Amino acid sequence: MWAFYNGRTQARGKREGRRRQSHTEMAHRLLVRRIWTLSVKDLRCLPASTSSFSTSMRSSTTPLSFISPKRTLPRSLPHTSRREVSFNVQDHEDFTERVINSDLPVLIDFHAQWCGPCKILGPRLEKAVAKQKGKVAMAKVDIDDHTDLAIEYGVSAVPTVIAMRGGDVIDQFVGIKDDEALDSFVSKLVGQ
Amino acid sequence: MAALCRVRHRWKRTNCIQLLTRNLTGTFDYDLVVIGGGSGGLACSKEAAQLGQKVAVLDYVEPSVKGTKWGIGGTCVNVGCIPKKLMHQAALLGTALKDAQKYGWQIPGPISHDWSTMAEAVQNHVRSLNWGHRVQLQDKEVKYLNVKGSLVDEHTVKGLTRTGKEIMLTAKNIVIATGGRPKYPTHIPGAVEHGITSDDIFWLKESPGKTLVVGASYVALECAGFLTGIGLATTVMVRSIPLRGFDQQMAGLVTDYMEAYGTKFTWRSVPKSVDKLSSGALQVTWTDEQTGKDQRDTFDSVLWAVGRAPETKTLGLEKVAVKLNKESGKILVAADESTSVPNIYAFGDIGEGRPELTPTAIKAGKLLARRLAGQTNELMNYDNVATTVFTPLEYGCVGLSEEEAESRHGKDSIEVYHAFYKPLEFTVAERDASQCYIKVVCKRGGDQRILGLHFTGPNAGEVTQGFAMGFQCGATLTHLKETVGIHPTCAEELTKVNVSKRSGLDATVTGC
Repeated sequence: MWAFYNGRTQARGKREGRRRQSHTEMAHRLLVRRIWTLSVKDLRCLPASTSSFSTSMRSSTTPLSFISPKRTLPRSLPHTSRREVSFNVQDHEDFTERVINSDLPVLIDFHAQWCGPCKILGPRLEKAVAKQKGKVAMAKVDIDDHTDLAIEYGVSAVPTVIAMRGGDVIDQFVGIKDDEALDSFVSKLVGQ
Repeated sequence: MAALCRVRHRWKRTNCIQLLTRNLTGTFDYDLVVIGGGSGGLACSKEAAQLGQKVAVLDYVEPSVKGTKWGIGGTCVNVGCIPKKLMHQAALLGTALKDAQKYGWQIPGPISHDWSTMAEAVQNHVRSLNWGHRVQLQDKEVKYLNVKGSLVDEHTVKGLTRTGKEIMLTAKNIVIATGGRPKYPTHIPGAVEHGITSDDIFWLKESPGKTLVVGASYVALECAGFLTGIGLATTVMVRSIPLRGFDQQMAGLVTDYMEAYGTKFTWRSVPKSVDKLSSGALQVTWTDEQTGKDQRDTFDSVLWAVGRAPETKTLGLEKVAVKLNKESGKILVAADESTSVPNIYAFGDIGEGRPELTPTAIKAGKLLARRLAGQTNELMNYDNVATTVFTPLEYGCVGLSEEEAESRHGKDSIEVYHAFYKPLEFTVAERDASQCYIKVVCKRGGDQRILGLHFTGPNAGEVTQGFAMGFQCGATLTHLKETVGIHPTCAEELTKVNVSKRSGLDATVTGC
């Protein structure tokens, strides 16, 4: 798949440098993410897809339908450059774009409607993030709405907070932390 | 001739694909595919995975007519046992609040109940259970697919996603545990358009208001019970008898209590039509079978509790010739849960003749998984299963009803011991205990083996569970009499039972 994205961007040289970079970065992250969650069956499928790519590359027209448009075409520029400090994740694509692809380090707050401690931690997290004055973002994931995503990140109990930078999980904790401990956690994420 | 060629070609093609899949992997995609992620399906799949099998569970909730849907866990977790018991508890707390004043609690002003607060709390708990199940499946390495499963052939299952995408899975063994859904009386005009079922009641965001519950099953009585308990004007419309299949004397006590408690009963009545008025209220017309006359009343909601139907129509069972019971539509199963097709099994509510209970589905599922993994030959024992009906006055029982015992052994061969007792807590609260009753049906002569045990009273489920173990061990009346009671409890009255029906003596328990 890595080879596929790389090859594709080379073939479509007309794309501007920034988009190309985010393509490959996104592809890399998607690939890394995919590998963590691959089952044996999926692994068997991988060679098949790469080989069908190479046959399509040989032909003059690269079939667009082969790739899922959602994965390769980025959202419009204004969207990607919008800097929201704290936001609710809408779907998988939104997560990829605003969390994995984020220029800022991100705190991911996995929470649930039925979770009492989450309601205590939530405002504390907002406070800690606000103190950083735009140096860190917070993505809120309702695990009932985004169960697959939560499972993918190994969430079992809530609240679970994951600190992410450049698409990599740097740190995480489960349960409530007090303001001091939270400030220290967030500073660590921003500092390095 | 052309048709034959086509059929042969299709057979060849599907067989080829299967052979291809098998040759590529050397085996099937999965050792076990379970269709249905309810009490039974989840227990079976998790047990199988723990025993080293490669398992996938397919769960999909077809939204109700009203559009209600829910997460993984099946009927029990989402629209059955769990929300039912929580709402029953809400109703009991209302009664307790009323009793509290007699016990000295200073409660200022009248007490009212807010449906939305209760519903949200109950729904949140159910959601936490959905999540818990997902985590468990992940931990136990069971592949979960939110797809509607159906059979293509003996080893192939097709899964349809919500968006219409198809996936195919092959499996060595297939288990069907899709359970049932409430029936709508489709022949009654307005029934489908304006009525709701137990699939909807627990997920309503707003109070159902003045409700008509049609039916006299435990679903109908339990729902009517908690609706009355939280202060809603509730009517139960019964066609013939309450709690069919249960001991009828006990059923009568349950409904007597409910009537005294505030639930209206319309006996021997059959609904004719449901119309929506301009006010939004529902006008129900029914026939009083005793007078032959039609009656009419308006309600805010109509809850149909007229039986459940198995989820077999969309399973593709005809493709593999899995035999069904023509009347019930349930899958015919053997003692080891096998169907007419060697590697396809079915259990839980979907199995013909099986109790529609969570604990039996869970146990049967686990044993099936163990048998399929070659770990045991043990079959599920469906006898002596204790149950409880969570009506305002709860009814717990294990074993045979009096009628069933009479029919099997003859009236002269059984001895029925009984007692009317009063829970201590009712005394100060000045509550009527006329329907608090115990009945022990025994074999006559010798140690008098217990054939059936029945109890109406508070916490009937908790009381009955312990006695169910004794029953399982073959308890006799002698055993019961040799057991010293715990005092003061309602349960101890079971150990003190000594007046037989045959004697005709007064069975009311006097003070200690």
